[in-house]
Amino acid sequence: MTKGQYFSFSRFHQLVTLHWGSQKRLYLLALPAIAGLLVVWGIFLLFMDNYNPLDDGMQAFTYYWGLALVGCLYSSTIFAGFGSKAHGIAWLGLPASALEKLLCGLLFSTIVVFIGFAVVFYLVDIPLVKIGNELIERQHRVWPGGYPVAPDVVWNLFHGLPGKNPDSDFHVLLVLYFILQAMFALGSVYFERYAFIKTIIAFLVFALVFLVLEKQVFAHILPYGWKPFTLTNDWITNGETLRVKEVRVSTWITGPLAVLLLLGIPPVFWIATYFRIKEKQV
Amino acid sequence: MISIANLHFAYRRRPVFSGLDLELRPGHIYGLLGRNGMGKSTLLRSIAGFLFPQQGSIDVLGHVPRRRQPAFLQRVFLLPEDFYLPPMALERWVTLYSVFYPRFDHGQFRRAAAGFELHTDGRLDQMSYGQRKKALICFALATNAEVLLLDEPTNGLDIVSKGQFRKVMAGAVDENKCIVISTHQIKDLENLIDRVTIIDEGKILFDQTIDAIQERLVFRLSYDPEETAGAIYSEDSFRGSALILPNMEGEDSRPDLEMLYKAVMLRGERINGLFSKISKR
Repeated sequence: MTKGQYFSFSRFHQLVTLHWGSQKRLYLLALPAIAGLLVVWGIFLLFMDNYNPLDDGMQAFTYYWGLALVGCLYSSTIFAGFGSKAHGIAWLGLPASALEKLLCGLLFSTIVVFIGFAVVFYLVDIPLVKIGNELIERQHRVWPGGYPVAPDVVWNLFHGLPGKNPDSDFHVLLVLYFILQAMFALGSVYFERYAFIKTIIAFLVFALVFLVLEKQVFAHILPYGWKPFTLTNDWITNGETLRVKEVRVSTWITGPLAVLLLLGIPPVFWIATYFRIKEKQV
Repeated sequence: MISIANLHFAYRRRPVFSGLDLELRPGHIYGLLGRNGMGKSTLLRSIAGFLFPQQGSIDVLGHVPRRRQPAFLQRVFLLPEDFYLPPMALERWVTLYSVFYPRFDHGQFRRAAAGFELHTDGRLDQMSYGQRKKALICFALATNAEVLLLDEPTNGLDIVSKGQFRKVMAGAVDENKCIVISTHQIKDLENLIDRVTIIDEGKILFDQTIDAIQERLVFRLSYDPEETAGAIYSEDSFRGSALILPNMEGEDSRPDLEMLYKAVMLRGERINGLFSKISKR
């Protein structure tokens, strides 16, 4: 085995430079387009809501739906070139390893898109929240009970979900974003055409099969009273109705297990994508 | 350099190769001839590692192509018939892509571009198909890859450019390189290739050097009906009958590859028999 055949920093750097050099126009055009859509959406909210048009819940909603849509759309195209003979030969024939090609694709589809979207979001969000607060102040808005409407604050995406535990810095939606990204990246290398749509269909089919298995198979295998989906707790009943004892798997097991499951899914998709790139034929 | 043994390959249920054996050596320009859909492109893509053998083995420069290791990809370049070039300035493209090829020679690129009369200050997305193909041929040569696989390289080139192509390619070969040119436009390769490999139905029908062909066959025009009747292959033309005859007298003649190709397709056994008979002596 020749040295550096799996990974070389200099080659990875060359690959990143090449990707940016050939795709920067797309990225730079996408940023104002996304900003424009966010502005339109923000203005719509300012017109529609007389109280807190841009409260933290709405900002989080806008951020995550926007990120999911932009991220998944972009991820579903990142390796789509492999589907065409001409693109596939150009990309697979480039003297870099499958790992370097995968990491370069993930860097742009996951990290760069995430950072780019966050920057554009705040560039639009901060002025819109300010405008919204000025409207609240100028129009002396009050709730129906006569209480003055409090100004909105800019939502911090690294803090917990609005209305949830504010001390929590583990953000489940951010992890879900990485799961979605990883899934759509795999879809882009797996499906030669219409990767975005086909990935959604594949996900829905998988979810359906999982739910059917969970309800029809696993539920019957588990002891009486156990819930198959959560596998965390239930009541042991005495006879038909009397609940006498709650049985719960310890949180020191369920907590890390949940984290492991959530954080473990993206690497599983990434590994599958790696082997798919490695075994791709044109 | 390239060693193919017992290669089996099929697209779903359509077999392309069933037990192909082939050895390609450095210092040659191979002309891979054959009808459309007979496996020429499949063979090139298998050598370059874009298609995997279903049975048998391929060894290229000591590498297994399907692994597509960077060290292998630096030494093998495939110029496909359908190719992709990113929408950017040609010079920028060369700068960004050449760093992946340690033996890339910018001077060689410029010389090849000059040979094609290609302006290197333009944008790839504003060039015609032929110009982009010329740019890719220049790039392929400048990589100094030891194995250069060209799939229908003259498709899309005008008559002048085809002449330029022959000239540029002839200057590119050396004793360390193996160039394989697949084409069904046989005339485009005359005076360029030094070995002819004819492929049909997934089999090698004929594989000889131009020197051996010249030594064993004579290509001539004749008005003599008796000579025509004794020819391995003949074609009528306004200038008489074009013949392929066994070279009994050690005559010097220029091989007509198109005629040779047709002769192999029609009288393959007789021609190959002639070669094996002589080589056994």
